[in-house]
Amino acid sequence: MDSLIRTVAGWVQRRAENVIAVLLGIMFTAFVTQIVFRYFLNLPTGWSTETVVICWLWLVLLGTALALKEKDEIRFDILTSVAGPRVRRVMALIVSVATVALFGLSLPATYKYVAFMKVEKSSYLNIRLDWLYSIYVVFVLAIILRYLWLLWEGLRGEPPSEQAMDEGRVR
Amino acid sequence: MSLPSPFTLSLLTIVVLSLLGLPIGLAMVGGSVLYLFAAGLDVGTAAEQILNGMMTSYLLLAIPLFILAAEFMNAGSIMDRLVRFCNALVGRFRGGLALVNVAQSIVFASMSGSALADAAGAGKIMQNLMTREGKYTRGFAAALTAVSATIGPILPPSIPLVVYSLVSDASVGYLFLAGVVPGLLIGAVQMALIVAVGKRRKFPVEAKVPVSEIPRVTREAFPALLMPIILFTCLYSGITTPTEAAAVAAAYALLIAGGLYRSVSPSGIYRSLLGSARTSVSIGMLIAGAMAYNYVITVENIPKTVSAILTATDLSQTGFLMLVNVILLVLGCLLEGTTIILVILPVLLPTATALGIDPVHFGVMAVTNIMFGLVTPPYGLLLFMMTKVANVSLREITREVMPFLGVMFIALMIITYVPNAVLFLPRLFGYSG
Repeated sequence: MDSLIRTVAGWVQRRAENVIAVLLGIMFTAFVTQIVFRYFLNLPTGWSTETVVICWLWLVLLGTALALKEKDEIRFDILTSVAGPRVRRVMALIVSVATVALFGLSLPATYKYVAFMKVEKSSYLNIRLDWLYSIYVVFVLAIILRYLWLLWEGLRGEPPSEQAMDEGRVR
Repeated sequence: MSLPSPFTLSLLTIVVLSLLGLPIGLAMVGGSVLYLFAAGLDVGTAAEQILNGMMTSYLLLAIPLFILAAEFMNAGSIMDRLVRFCNALVGRFRGGLALVNVAQSIVFASMSGSALADAAGAGKIMQNLMTREGKYTRGFAAALTAVSATIGPILPPSIPLVVYSLVSDASVGYLFLAGVVPGLLIGAVQMALIVAVGKRRKFPVEAKVPVSEIPRVTREAFPALLMPIILFTCLYSGITTPTEAAAVAAAYALLIAGGLYRSVSPSGIYRSLLGSARTSVSIGMLIAGAMAYNYVITVENIPKTVSAILTATDLSQTGFLMLVNVILLVLGCLLEGTTIILVILPVLLPTATALGIDPVHFGVMAVTNIMFGLVTPPYGLLLFMMTKVANVSLREITREVMPFLGVMFIALMIITYVPNAVLFLPRLFGYSG
């Protein structure tokens, strides 16, 4: 069961990496297109700005939820880097319980807000905002699942891997 | 004992969870949720703030693009060419390679916006060059690489200044211009120190690059050296918005790395995209968390309260700036720079304005201060990073960093208390502040 979860999680993470790289590629291309159209062809493009903004929103939320490894995240590690494995395990337990609780607490109201946004559409591309914003619900759910997994690992007595913690400090 | 207020509760949650190792962005989202819940407000507001904030902050899009530009530069052979160019210029003097280290930081600063990226990319190359054949001790090379990397984010283009522009409404163009003199000043005091101790410490001199070679070396590095000029032209002629200028920078970097120097392959482009995306995501999440928590800070009217307290104490401009110097140096040891700019500076800014401090000057001074926090022992991210890159102990690097901090402190004092040194250049270009 565990190894299955790891395999699936690893696969999801690698696909998410593909997606965020492509999203940034789209942002870059859209910007360059916009500049060329506006300054060289004199054709202003409203859609490009909106495309870029949407990509950025999805990039950040999807990236945080699924693609980022522990070492990529910006965290404060003056304590985690000096703590022994047992203390670190307790710290990880507290963090995961609190994160699951807080993000779980926000889930119903968040879903309600996002679902309510079906009444509005984006200005150029006419995409319903509840679709655009749905990534936030995915983000909250993914964070809950991630920290449930850490909680489960912590309860079984596996301290967070030394190397991940170590590399995290550099960020 | 009565229960703590929702605000205190949320602040404590953020501090404790970050200390225990939760990514700071997520901790701020969590703290905001807790505040909204405890204050009996709609918990969905956190999502609303983040989603609307991200959809409307057009300026922020400059951040992933500047990161991408730097990544393209790092992936190509552009770095090597710049180092050769700098070596041809200053390598002939005593402490040549040490001077090259500072010079390349200044030149490369025009292409990157992040101190950590500078130290990881260009810094690594310099570290190896300096310690090869035992020319310099590893500790000195590492300390110098760390302190010279702080120049990058002060000189334009600067990601911290883009973030500051977001919270202060000051113009990015003027902020970038205002960073020029401070950035050069810091480079100058570092070079002065190297020259001053060079003789006593018997720093080596590099083989002279013959004058006849200089045109060739310059020609090779020329397209890369053109980058800052292109960037400035885009920004100040009003041809493009700052965000578009960032895209131009990235496109130009890709063009010269791929087209001219032929050093980037399709798979290299993908790797650059992924690497930049990762960095952008982690910074973006931090900003998203700050957007949620800034709502809390606004609802609680914290900046006004702080301003009222500080002005009631009859604080002078100088006194306030001194206080800010100390606060930022201490916080710089504890928090990541972007967090400070997003959360702490908006709290201090109203007081600064009330005391008649120019917002552009305040921003540049604050960012300089925060960058120094990265290399101030005992806790500085850049120092930690260099201990790993260079494989030296923190003690060794700390000893070597101290003299540099001394001269950089003098520069910081000038930047803080002589606003004209900072504002001179933007005023030349029409800034009316």
